[in-house]
Amino acid sequence: MKRLKGRLAWSMMGVLAAVLLAFGATRSSGPSTQEERIDAISKRLACPTCNGESIYVSRASAAESIRNEIARQVAAGQRVDDEIVAYIESRFPGSLLLPPGEGVDSLVWILPVVALVCGFGGLVVVFRKWKREGDVQANADDAGVVAAALRDYEDPTEGL
Amino acid sequence: MNGASRLARRLVPVVGIVLVAFFVVLAVSKPRGEAEVSSPLIGNPAPAVQSTIIGGGDFDLARRKGSWVVLNFFNSTCVPCRNEHPELIKFADEQTSLADGAELFTVVNDDSDEAVSAFFNEKGGDWDKVRDPDGTIAVAFGVAKVPETWVIDPSGFVRMRVAGEVTASLLSTRIAAMRDMLNGLGS
Repeated sequence: MKRLKGRLAWSMMGVLAAVLLAFGATRSSGPSTQEERIDAISKRLACPTCNGESIYVSRASAAESIRNEIARQVAAGQRVDDEIVAYIESRFPGSLLLPPGEGVDSLVWILPVVALVCGFGGLVVVFRKWKREGDVQANADDAGVVAAALRDYEDPTEGL
Repeated sequence: MNGASRLARRLVPVVGIVLVAFFVVLAVSKPRGEAEVSSPLIGNPAPAVQSTIIGGGDFDLARRKGSWVVLNFFNSTCVPCRNEHPELIKFADEQTSLADGAELFTVVNDDSDEAVSAFFNEKGGDWDKVRDPDGTIAVAFGVAKVPETWVIDPSGFVRMRVAGEVTASLLSTRIAAMRDMLNGLGS
């Protein structure tokens, strides 16, 4: 009965965690200002003339031009963020900082989750094994060994 | 002799060969010049370009349909831009002598009117210089570094992109070939 309650509690916690994760991943953060949109889009794109810098960080001329274009498109209000990013990516191929969740690139997102699940599963198996080993009952041979040791302890000079 | 020193003795000639090969490659490799590069825009309609011209007037790429158009993205402080300038003058002169010669335009990239005018006054070149103050034209074409040269056909389709220094012969030869091809398709 006690074990059943424990499993039920773990299951409920798992379901709750999954629901919260799904909610967090899909919820809309609500309307943001134009400046916030420009910043968010700029952070998703790499500067085409500098190594490892985003459009948001870079002061290069090309990055400034792209930032201006993002600002212009945000102000025009005709494209959503993903469409603006796609437009810049179409002009500067390879400028996406984060890989898309499609094809082989999706492994970047999937593998850490798989590793986490495998790690958690491994821990559960190991803990269960340890617990089972802890439940071992002493048999008659064990009792004999303990009795002999006690005898030796009570009379350590015996046999000298 | 221990193992480590034996290994070091064997590695010395290998490292030497690699270094020699490296210097040979450096010595015989050509410096980066003109390079015709790909773009998702090639074979597609050119982006809309509307701007103003240094010295007065408007520029609308859509109104240039019917002519071959060459857009050269330029900055007066960029060394390859300065190097290729005589070639552009030669190309512009060649095209002027043709009945259906291409029109050349400079697109000013991150530079002031004064600096561009001073450069052209000194070095020559009487074609129009199109302003691009916020980089809209550069982004529309995907230009991150100058110089870059783009060729647009009389129907408004992008036909060629050259990154780096360009030569008059490359532009003239390629445009002549494309002109013949399009004329052949039309006849």
